[in-house]
Amino acid sequence: MKTAVYFCNCGSNISEKINPEIVENTVKMNNPGIVFKSYGFLCSEEGKEFLKKDIEDSGVNALVISACSPRDHEKTFMNVLTSAGLNPYMMQMINVREQVAWVTEDKDRAAEKAINYINAAISRVNLQEPLENKEIDVSPNAVVVGAGPAGLKTALSLAEAGRKVTIVEKSPFIGGLPVRYEEIFPNMECGPCMLEPIMGDALHGNSSENIEFLTLSEIDGVVGSYGNFTVKIKRSPRYVDIEKCIGCAECIEPCPVSSGNPFNCGINKRKAVDFSFVGALPNVPYINAEDCIRLNNKFKNGDVLCRSCIDACPVGEDVFKFDEKEEILERNVGSIILATGSDLYDCAKIPSLGYGKISDVYNSMEFERILASNGPTEGKIKTSGGKEPRSFAIVHCVGSLDENHKEYCSGICCEYAFKFNHIIRNKIPSATIYHLYKEMVIPGKENAGLYKHAAEDSNTYFIRINDINGITVKEEGDKKFFYIDGAEKISVDAVILCPASVPGKDTGKLAGILETSLDKNGFFEELHSRTDAGRSKIKGIYVAGSCHSPMDIKEAMSEGIGATGYVLSGLVQGKKLSIDPITAVVDSEKCSGCKVCISVCPYKAISFNEEKEISIINELLCQGCGTCAAACPSAVIKANGFTNEEIFAEIHAILA
Amino acid sequence: MQNSFFIKKKENSNADAFNSGTKKSCETVSFEPKIIGFLCNWCSYAGADKAGTAQKPYPPNVSVIRVMCSGRIDPQFILDAFQKGADGVMVLACHPGDCHYKEGNYRAVQRYRLLLKLLKQFGIEAERCRFDYVSAGEGDRFVSVINETVKAVKKLGPLKR
Ligand code: FES
Repeated sequence: MKTAVYFCNCGSNISEKINPEIVENTVKMNNPGIVFKSYGFLCSEEGKEFLKKDIEDSGVNALVISACSPRDHEKTFMNVLTSAGLNPYMMQMINVREQVAWVTEDKDRAAEKAINYINAAISRVNLQEPLENKEIDVSPNAVVVGAGPAGLKTALSLAEAGRKVTIVEKSPFIGGLPVRYEEIFPNMECGPCMLEPIMGDALHGNSSENIEFLTLSEIDGVVGSYGNFTVKIKRSPRYVDIEKCIGCAECIEPCPVSSGNPFNCGINKRKAVDFSFVGALPNVPYINAEDCIRLNNKFKNGDVLCRSCIDACPVGEDVFKFDEKEEILERNVGSIILATGSDLYDCAKIPSLGYGKISDVYNSMEFERILASNGPTEGKIKTSGGKEPRSFAIVHCVGSLDENHKEYCSGICCEYAFKFNHIIRNKIPSATIYHLYKEMVIPGKENAGLYKHAAEDSNTYFIRINDINGITVKEEGDKKFFYIDGAEKISVDAVILCPASVPGKDTGKLAGILETSLDKNGFFEELHSRTDAGRSKIKGIYVAGSCHSPMDIKEAMSEGIGATGYVLSGLVQGKKLSIDPITAVVDSEKCSGCKVCISVCPYKAISFNEEKEISIINELLCQGCGTCAAACPSAVIKANGFTNEEIFAEIHAILA
Repeated sequence: MQNSFFIKKKENSNADAFNSGTKKSCETVSFEPKIIGFLCNWCSYAGADKAGTAQKPYPPNVSVIRVMCSGRIDPQFILDAFQKGADGVMVLACHPGDCHYKEGNYRAVQRYRLLLKLLKQFGIEAERCRFDYVSAGEGDRFVSVINETVKAVKKLGPLKR
């Protein structure tokens, strides 16, 4: 090994404090045979040219560069090594400027320290091995889980960039929650209309052939890693052929069975064959297998199988596929985007509010459906007694900012509470409305308008509460009464609860399948809550929208674009993925199979080979932190670039 | 201008440490401890660079070994440093929750706590082995951690072996 030290004077930044000649003499004396060169500005164009030429001419194969912080110029010099035909990892850079020259008052001691560092770097670099970037083939395509605002935006943007996308949606329709809202804050747009262009483009637009929609589907398993995931998708039967059905709804009326419609929160009924709600896309009904008497082999008339829907269908018998079975599909993709959305906190967990027990106490989703013209009451606000309510209580912060429930503020409830205020006021001009709130949160440049309407309205009252448990709702006749802290008694006809946003109910199950982590509130955990909030802890799995933090539609859409950016920049069509060699490697001969490394890896990059009983590190997932190498009781994990031998050599040389 | 300390000495440190230990009163005045500082690349090493750019002077006793994460620091490195002549060892990490690799600093602090128990068995004072957090912005804090550690180790005198 021929080793050379290049000492950058950094103009006079270094040489003013540390005399290069003294360093040269001592280093040469300490390390016989060493090549030592000093230069004015090694990072300048001339400096790099000098370095390149010198490497080529002198035939050195390991370099110590004594200069500024490696955080500044390590990459610069690695590139010079590469251009001179040397492996870029055959270099050790020491930080004589920031960490010696600029901070050491005594010149002799500064020189001593620099020499010490150079000696340590020489003994280390002599142990270093060439490391190679590996390249692997990857799929540029993606699976998006969830067809709400974030998922649709991601899928459409990726499709427009030429990527193939499979959207996996567990419900029978796309659009997520907003398609069930009549109007959306802050500008009172119609929810379905706002999403219509995006859904339309995704279903029928120029790039729609790049998007595959799988409704009634969920993720069943995932193997592989970034760039090469194989995703198993379980698709439940719809029993109606999406391609053939024309969406005329003729089959619905004759269907003899019905049950509570889950997409209207059970407020009304749906037939066994029916749309989720009017206007749901794709515009094809689905058959609820639990209710359908034909599917359950129940006979309606004597022994004749029920065929009410079939007979009513103007297209033909083969629109219905009663023999359709659950299917497992597989897709090979490079990235997975989670956009599974959120749910509402269960208001029954605060029993004094009477939710689920007292009539006309609604959660916000139920009230959205009541307000919706395609909802169970076709947009008419009526009490369970069928009368128009004269007074409402809208309770904010249900389960939010509350250490017994959810500690956070969801940041959207106040806004839709004032939207409710606005809609109620339009529909029932004389209604009295009470807002009970703990904190008022209406951030954003557009969002104060609805609050202002409410605040200026003479028949809207604001009552600040300390504790949601201080509110008791009681029913006397068809009136509801509010007791606040046991005293104040207010009578209302309907109560609307605005609960905290919580993770969707399948979040935990999905996290288990994907082996991605959840935060303490059960949302998908981000790689970094500020700088990488769009990435999960698993490389190649991204999070967008309210599945990782409560947010409004605007943010969810932006996050969809964010996820698109990650996919497009991370996996470029036709380009191989290069893997940084600073990873850890298990010595398969010596691994005892204790699995300690698996338990400490923050990236789930280590798996256990049951057959050979050894740990194996996936170099694609490994980020090179070295925690496993420090934990390995047999010291058989090599942390590339920072091996035990290299670090021991540094320690010994420093202390020599 | 060839000072003796510029020459790599093989067997000096143990002898020095022994001498200074026996002649404590006169030696401690000029005693310059050797301290190894293991710094993670993302926060504490950057914090040290910050002190450098701000040109904040501090004693040169701490020799820095850069690792990607404090989680990389095998307790063996620390034991080895003490064995080979260090009078003190520092481990500097990202603040809790800030580790570039999420949780390496939690592993590091767990290992450190265990190691302290072991060091006690070896008769190495806890003050000789410091664990602390320095962020990329905390140049001043880096300097004060160095100053404090150097002072503490100076007060203890050379590590007797
Ligand atoms: S990167 Fe700083 S402690 Fe892990």
